[in-house]
Amino acid sequence: MHKKMILTGKYLVSLFLILLVFFPLLITLVSSLRMPGSLDSHSPLWIPFDQITFSNYSNVLKEKYLLTSFINTLKIVVVSITFNILLGALTAYCLERFEFRFKQVIYILFYLAMMVPTNIVEIARFRVIRGMGLYNSIGAPIVIYIAANLMQLYIYRQFISGIPISLDESAMLDGCGYFRIFSQIIFPLLAPATATLVIVKTVSIVNDMYIPYLYMPNNRNRTLTTFLMRYAGARQNSWPLLAAGIIVVALPTILLYVFFQKYIIEGIAAGAVKE
Amino acid sequence: MNRHSKKRLCFLGLSLIIPVILLAVFVVYPFWELIYMSFLEWDGVASIRPFIGGANYQQLFFKSPEFWLAFRNNLTYLLIHGLMMPLELVLAVVLSSRFKGANFVKAVIFLPFIINGVGISYSFSYFFSPVEGGFNYLLTKLGLGSLIKNWLSDPKIVNYVLSSVSIWRYMGFHIVLFMAGLASVPEDIMDAAIVDGANGWQRLRFIQIPAIRTVIDFMLFDVINGSLQMFDIPYIMTSGGPNGASNTFSIYTIDTAFKYNNFGLASSMAVIMIAMIVAVQMIQKYITSRIRRKEGHYA
Repeated sequence: MHKKMILTGKYLVSLFLILLVFFPLLITLVSSLRMPGSLDSHSPLWIPFDQITFSNYSNVLKEKYLLTSFINTLKIVVVSITFNILLGALTAYCLERFEFRFKQVIYILFYLAMMVPTNIVEIARFRVIRGMGLYNSIGAPIVIYIAANLMQLYIYRQFISGIPISLDESAMLDGCGYFRIFSQIIFPLLAPATATLVIVKTVSIVNDMYIPYLYMPNNRNRTLTTFLMRYAGARQNSWPLLAAGIIVVALPTILLYVFFQKYIIEGIAAGAVKE
Repeated sequence: MNRHSKKRLCFLGLSLIIPVILLAVFVVYPFWELIYMSFLEWDGVASIRPFIGGANYQQLFFKSPEFWLAFRNNLTYLLIHGLMMPLELVLAVVLSSRFKGANFVKAVIFLPFIINGVGISYSFSYFFSPVEGGFNYLLTKLGLGSLIKNWLSDPKIVNYVLSSVSIWRYMGFHIVLFMAGLASVPEDIMDAAIVDGANGWQRLRFIQIPAIRTVIDFMLFDVINGSLQMFDIPYIMTSGGPNGASNTFSIYTIDTAFKYNNFGLASSMAVIMIAMIVAVQMIQKYITSRIRRKEGHYA
């Protein structure tokens, strides 16, 4: 009896949480299927089947810059994460395995860079980016994500410290150069950490609006998030149209999530739980 | 210098040169520039940047109630997220006890974290809107229509409403992190505690919480940082309005720089913010290391 009550409690809690998550999402979904301009007195949670329209979706999909912003987002994600991974793993390897002059200085600088909130430094970084002619090009977010998004150092160092150093040493006795040791022995062993990083960073870069918004006001350089902002600005009064826009823009990450749900959850949790 | 150490130097140099240059140009230099600019009067364009000493700081501390209001709003986010943490932990404990469907629930509550903040913010603008808004609809259906308020335009409640959106977005993330921590508690210890007659609360207090200290540390760090840097939700849902009532530190700083072209003042805000975040992190490190020393190592 007691056990049954506990189980019922668990399901009630679960049900509540699921409703809490789905309620706002369902409202957005229902709204996106409604004729724009129909003044509603009916339930925001339900729409009769004969009133469903996909015109809002075709409206969004016809937007001139949707595809461009999707491609921009993709480019930014691929380029910045590739460099993040390569440079991050290499830097962490150097800092973890070698003793050299200025190591402490370099280490402290990287550590401070991880601690300082990126958002607010943009006031000063803005001038640097503009001075290099990167303003209003996708080079701006790419270079910022590569240079200032440094969680990979932390995660890679953790991982490398767990790899026995005898592995490096025996490879060296076999005549392996440092680059070969890194690329053929260490880097492959970091695969789980790399997977985690790719996942976490993809989600955070795709969803970031701040950097693209600040550095790329140009239409041609929109990312998915700033595309949505512009789209919403132009359709202030039509919820159905905006709702369809929200869903189309969220779809890529949601699909990723549906397919890789287990890895995404594990990857993100692993980043935080590792001591 | 022998051949070996030359090769070693070559490797280190080649590996570190790009990351270090990037760090210097895009992090260290801007950071230094930020501190320098905070002592200047500068509109972001003029070629002359007069040095005005601590005048920007003076203005912030003594003549800028808006600045302190924005800061207080950030603290509201921090407070609400802080209050939610124990509840999130309890929910994690509940969801960690294996029952059919627990994984599904976990997958669902994590979903908001995957969706972009811009979309979430627009959805919730609609949710809380006075016309056709889903929240008012729900209240009316539940017979609580008298509680209806101007959720996003009443300065007294707007920050709590925005905080609740932030909670909706991050709650699943926090619960999943707690669950990951709880999963690392050895099962035989928990079983032994049950055999010894420890109830749920005792197991939580004396075994699980000490064991997931790393997770708690990380989450505190994340919550403090996230709350102090809160940007997208208030920026999109209210643009800091009505009349600055839901401004946050980040919004106010960015507006001061890019909207009102006062880069000097904005820089001094940024410096204060960074100083605060660094101070909080140091205090947190100090406290957690003291607690650890006191209680010995559980984990």
